[in-house]
Formats: sequence, structure tokens, C-alpha cells
Amino acid sequence: MPAACSGQRLLLLLCLGLSAGSPADPAATTKGALQSQASSLTKVQAGLHESSPEPITTAQAVSWQTQGSPSDHLTLGHTISAPGPELATQEFKEATKDNITFTKYEALLPGVSGTSVEKYITLDSAARIELSCRLDNKNSHLQSLQVIWKKGNETIGHINKTENSWSIKLRILDSSNLGSYSCSLKSKEEIGAAFHLQVPKIEGREKPIVSYGGDTGVMTCESSDYIPIAWSWYMTNGSEQIALNDSLRDKYVINIISANVTQLKILNLTEEDDGEYWCEAAFELGESRASVRLKVLSFMVPLKPFLAIVSEAVILVTIIFLYEIYSKKKEKHAEDEKEFDQVEQLKSEDSNGLENSSARHRRI
Amino acid sequence: PSPSNAGRAPSPPDGGWGWVVVFGAFISIGFAYAFPKGIAIFFKEIQDFFGTSYSEIAWVSSIMLATTYGAGPISSILVNRYGSRPVVIFGGLLCGVGMVSAAFCTSILQLYICVGFITGFGLSLNLQPSVIMIGKYFLKRRPIANGLAMAGSPVMLCTLAPLNQFLFDNFGWRGSFLILGAILLHCCVAGALFRPIGAAKAPVKTQAIEEGKETLKEEVTKDAMEMSNPRNIPMETKMEEEGEKDCCEKINQYLDFSLFKHRGFLIYLIGNVLMFLGFFAPIVFLAPYAKHIGIDEYSAALLLSILAIVDMIARPATGIIANSKWVRPRIQYFFSFSIAFNGACHLLCPLASGYTGLVVYSIFFGLAFGMVCAMLFETLMDLVGAARFTSAVGLVTIAECCTILLGPPIGGTLIDTFGDYKYMFIKCGAVMVLAGTFLFIMNYYNYRMLAKEEKERKAKEEDPKSVRTDNEDRNNWNKEATQGGPELEPLREEQEGLKKEVNGT
Repeated sequence: MPAACSGQRLLLLLCLGLSAGSPADPAATTKGALQSQASSLTKVQAGLHESSPEPITTAQAVSWQTQGSPSDHLTLGHTISAPGPELATQEFKEATKDNITFTKYEALLPGVSGTSVEKYITLDSAARIELSCRLDNKNSHLQSLQVIWKKGNETIGHINKTENSWSIKLRILDSSNLGSYSCSLKSKEEIGAAFHLQVPKIEGREKPIVSYGGDTGVMTCESSDYIPIAWSWYMTNGSEQIALNDSLRDKYVINIISANVTQLKILNLTEEDDGEYWCEAAFELGESRASVRLKVLSFMVPLKPFLAIVSEAVILVTIIFLYEIYSKKKEKHAEDEKEFDQVEQLKSEDSNGLENSSARHRRI
Repeated sequence: PSPSNAGRAPSPPDGGWGWVVVFGAFISIGFAYAFPKGIAIFFKEIQDFFGTSYSEIAWVSSIMLATTYGAGPISSILVNRYGSRPVVIFGGLLCGVGMVSAAFCTSILQLYICVGFITGFGLSLNLQPSVIMIGKYFLKRRPIANGLAMAGSPVMLCTLAPLNQFLFDNFGWRGSFLILGAILLHCCVAGALFRPIGAAKAPVKTQAIEEGKETLKEEVTKDAMEMSNPRNIPMETKMEEEGEKDCCEKINQYLDFSLFKHRGFLIYLIGNVLMFLGFFAPIVFLAPYAKHIGIDEYSAALLLSILAIVDMIARPATGIIANSKWVRPRIQYFFSFSIAFNGACHLLCPLASGYTGLVVYSIFFGLAFGMVCAMLFETLMDLVGAARFTSAVGLVTIAECCTILLGPPIGGTLIDTFGDYKYMFIKCGAVMVLAGTFLFIMNYYNYRMLAKEEKERKAKEEDPKSVRTDNEDRNNWNKEATQGGPELEPLREEQEGLKKEVNGT
């Protein structure tokens, strides 16, 4: 169902082409991740909905625009989910006349007063991107602005200026190209934005996995939206990280559940296997790590509360039964006394009629 | 002392130790209903461990619920034979054994057996006897007792959910199952509280006193044994004395199939079987629906908590309302109304937009759910009377078992085919409104027939105004009951119960 829904949106966007940033829904397929389309879509949709009920709210939101001549047409790129306060940005590939496609990310300035706008962009493969800082309509009147683009401390030349936006074009080929790029616009005050380019994050587990000696420990890592090229697992031994691979088949088994999910099975757990394990996903542009903690307990640990609770239940049952026997005895004792008194009374009153009444009331 | 008391089956004390029994039933029923839902927390981990799909794991819960309901007749037979207390204690032991062995499972199939069948069977041996015990201990205040006991389910669910999470974080799923097995042994504690009802010793003894001391002791011990015998079927001994024993009645001793000729029972059966088709599905899908329309996970979980809390309050409150003198004689109407109200809530749910709309829906749903659950067994007791309730509850639960299991999957397929949750809500709402109206109309007809039969019976009684002894009274009453004739006993029982109240006995 989500796939059909997004398919509709795809068509809609294709037909309309995009004009001035209409906040819209993340939709569409990735080039390289067609098979995970449905799941990643729902995730992104869900992720979007989870953190912001309306997709784009403040001026901080990224808008996307087409640029170039009317002969350009849009093809949709893949959605990028980014952690942090701002959510999905959408990338669009434009076909320019030179047949080079650039994905554009734009920040509207100024953001909330005092803070600079932060954008987190996740890239899993080599790409050409264009980062642009645009003045919003309120401030478009400002003149004589000095605009600087920096990566870290290096200044970048080749700034393309259009009416109210300044942009740089980048080719991201390997991990050295990733990092933070910032633009700053100075006139009387300084406003700016920063774009953080990262590899995709993968998920391990925050809470430790609890397992028992002799049992099998199972740890999974998942990459939600992007498919890594390779997975690997590491174990922390003191301060070292030891790679776990298939050479130790009888102890460590690495299963590939699916392209996004990897699983490490440790057989015959012992106390030494307790500790932190790292799963690493290799992407084209770098690696990403997540940790999973394993706790190995002995069976004595849950056995103690178990025995405590069992003995408590047994004690309660015994108390209840004893109380019942005791109260029955008391009742019987009290009634015996009552009957004895009454019998004595009757005997003394009517000793003659007793025989007659006993014959009469023989039956019950 | 009025000898007429001894003529009826031991009159329910309506208090005293009865409240302790209600507490025991509270625990038992709470475990029986809340446990299958509570262990859902472990499923993700178990799924990873055994490498299965989610639906295979969800079968564990379904098997447990199915066994709890499906083993109803077996439970009834055992209670008829041995009485409630041994059955509940055995059930508690079975649950404990099931969960402890589940802690050592090495495959999903073993989990099905240990958690699904064994624990489910143990829970079913808890559920039915608890409800039966309430019927034995209460008459005038039975709706309150039922409401209080059924409130165990949401309370246990609210306790089990965080407890399970705590256990899981500290002990993993194996350790948690071990400790949960120990916790389930408290069902045995609840069972120990189910003292077999041995009332009406006093009237018997007053007669014996006049006979003399030796015979006095004999009779007392013999009658005490007979009365405190867990079999609350004095009619059974009478049957043996009268020598009427063909094979049908022998089977009916264990499981009263003659109930299928009972008009009220059939009405209840059909109405409830229909109702359960749409009863549980909305709860199962409430959180996914909330997430679907864009609410975050924690707020969605909060919706369920709101539902549980309102449910908790609604059940005893419904019990009190149902016990009031305006509602008690017409309790079947109240029951059908609450079912229809429940259905109306579901029908209106798709109109709820946004989080506040869903919160309002959860509150009303919790209220309606609590109302229906509180009166679920009370109305059955009202229709068939406490004596035959043992068998009735078993037959009803096994019939409901099928629709309970079918409800959520049907809802799920509706959601998958139409891609929209509203059709599931509409289906559930429609089914329940239909069930409610059916019950309302049929019970109206039933009440009229009962009133007519009561008039005829009274007319017959006026003529031969013979002096009745206790035993003749008991004989006639028992004959009518065993021959499955008029369904007068419950009404008569209650009328006389109310009369007794007036007379101040």
C-alpha cells in the first residue's frame, strides 16, 4: 500500500515538475536500492511523520527548486533521511544541458535568530551535489553582502551567484570529501548555514543483549535506508578491536539475513564473550559503525529470584490452608459447645418427649 | 431457624469469605487474560534468536489464547467432577511448569508446546473455575463481584507490561520465562483461597439437635461431608437415589449438553459468538492505526494505557450499576446496550482525526470494553443459573474460541486489501451493533416467555397447596432443573433471594 501511494506521488511530481518549493512528501526510489523501496519508503514516511507532523514548517526547511532552462526535466532521486531536527530533504536531479546531473540542497536564510542553520545530508555513494544558501523574501533587500563558503577552515572559490542565492558545486568521491561545509553572509550581521555530509548511520542496540552460558548469543545490526557494500564484525578485547571472520566457524557465525541486516551468532557462550561488539557497514564513501553489547550471565542469576518467588507462593498456600483448618476447628468447637448446651437444656426440660421427637425426626 | 433454607441449594453467602474469593478470582482471571498479551514484549528478541518471521512468533500468543478458550469444556468437566479448588491449583502448577520448560526451549515448535499449549491449558483451568466460584459465593451482589473480578485483567496487564520489560532487560528472555513461571504459581495461591462452599450446616444441625447427641454427631458429620463436598450438585445425589440414570444423564453429569435446549443459553451463545468477531481486533490494531495516521510510538502506546485505565475503572463501576435494583432484572438489556455502544464507538472511530480524536475514542472504547467484559459471565449466570453455569461456561468458551481467533486476522486482511484501517473499524462496529440488536430483541422475547411460564407455574402451584417439607421442595426443584424444563430457576432463585433479603435472613 505505501508503494502504491508513493507511486502516485511520483507521477504527480513528475508531471508537475517542481516550482517554488512546495513542501512535499518524500517519495521515490533510489537508484541503487529498488528492492528495498517499500520498506525504506514506509520508514522514511514514518520517520518523517514521527518527528514533524507537517513535512516542512519553518523557514529552516529545505526547499528545492529547479534551476535551468525549461527544457530541463526532472527525474526523481532518492530520499535522504537525516537525523537531527530537520528531517527529510529531497534531492532532485536535474538534467542540465551539459548532461551532468547535480543534486541540489538549499538552505533558507536566516534561520531562527542567533543560530545558524544546520543541515545533515546522508550520502551513500559518490555524487555531485550543489549546496546553496538563499536569502528568504524578507531579507532579499539586503545589499552588499559578503559571501564566503568554507570547508572546515579552507575557503572555497567558484561560488555561483544567482539572484538571491549563492551556491557551490562539489564532487563527492571519497571520504575526504565528506565533512562540514558552511556558508556565511556578512553585511551588518552575519548569518550562515552549515551542511554536514555524512555516511549513513546504522543501528545496533542501546540495551545490552542478555544471554546465558552455554547458550547462543545473537546480535543484529541494521542499516535502515541504504545498502552497504559489505558488513564486518569486530570484538573489543581490552583496547584492541579484533576482526571476527569465518576462520572461527565453530564459535562465530555471521549470517546475512538480508542486504540491510547482518547477524552475528556466538555459539557456546562463556563469561569471556561478555563485552562490546561492533558491526561495521562499508559504503562507497566510508564506513559506519554501531555497537551491540552482550551480557553473559550464569543460570544462577535468575534462579535466585525464581526460588524466592516459588518459596513465597508455597508459604502463602500453606498459610491459607492452615488458617482454613484452624478456623474450621474453631467453628466446630464453638458449635459443639453450643449443641452441648442446647442438648442439656432440652434434656432437662423435656426428658419424656425426647424419645418421641427422636422417632419423629429420625429422617433427614 | 428457618428449615426452608435447607430446601434450596446452599444459599450463597454474598459476602464474608466471598470477598476473599473475589480477590483470588481477580488474580486468576487477570493472569488468564493479560498473560498472552503481556509476553508480546519478548517476541522481537525470540524472533531474532530463532530466526523466524514475526507471524510465526505471533502464533505463540494465538495458540495460548485458543487453548485458554478451547479447553473450556475440559475445565468444566473437571470442575464438575472435582470442584474448583483442586482444578485451579493444578492449573497454576501447569502454568508454572509450562513457562519453566519454555525457558529451556531450543526451537520455536517447543515454544508453541510449552508456552502455547501447556501454559494455555493451565490458564484455562484457572479462568473457568474462578468465574464458577463467584457464582457459588454470590447471588445478590453477583454483578459487583463479577465486575471486581474481571477488573483483574486490565490491572494485571498494566502490571505485567512494565514488569516484563524489566525482567527482559535484566535477564533476557530465558531468565524472564523462568521467573514468570514462578510468578504464575501465584495462581495456586489464588486457588487455595477458593474454599469449597459448604453452607447450610446450621439448619441441618437444628433438626439433629432434637434427635439426641449420638445421632447428632453422626448426622452432622455426614451432612457436613456432603455439603462441603466440592460437588455443588445436590441434585446429583438425589438423582442417584431416584435411580434415573440413563447414558444421557450420565454425560450431562460431567458436561451438561442439555443446555443446548435452553433458550436463554442459545441466545447468549449466538449473540456472543457473533460479537467476538469484532471484539478484539480494534485493540490489536489501535496502535498500528495511530502510527499510520502519523502519531509517534510513545503516544500510540499511551492510547493503550488510557484504554486500560478507563477499562479498570469501568468494570467495577458497571458491576455496581448492574447490581442496582433498576438494572438487575433487566441486565440482559444492559448487556446488549453495552455491546451496541461498543460497536457504535468503532463505527465513529474513522471520523476521529488527529491525536485528540483518538484519545476520545480510546476513552469511550475503554468504557465500552469494560462494560461488556464485566457483564460477560454475569449475564450467562443470570440466564442459566449457578448450578448449570459450570457446563455452560465451558460450552460457550469453546464456541467463542473460533471467532476470537478469526477476528484479528480478518481485520488484518481487510486492512491489507483496502489499505485503509477504516474498513476494519466499520466491520467491527457493524458486527457488534448487529450482535447487540440481536441480543436485545431475543432477550425481550425471552423475558416475555419467562414471565409467561412463571405465571403458568404459579397458577399450577396455587391448586395443590400441600405442606412441603424441605426435601420435597428440593426434589421438585431438582426434577425441574434436571429435566431441562422451564428456565425458571434463575429468576425464581433471584426472586427468592431478593425476598430473603426483605425478610432479613
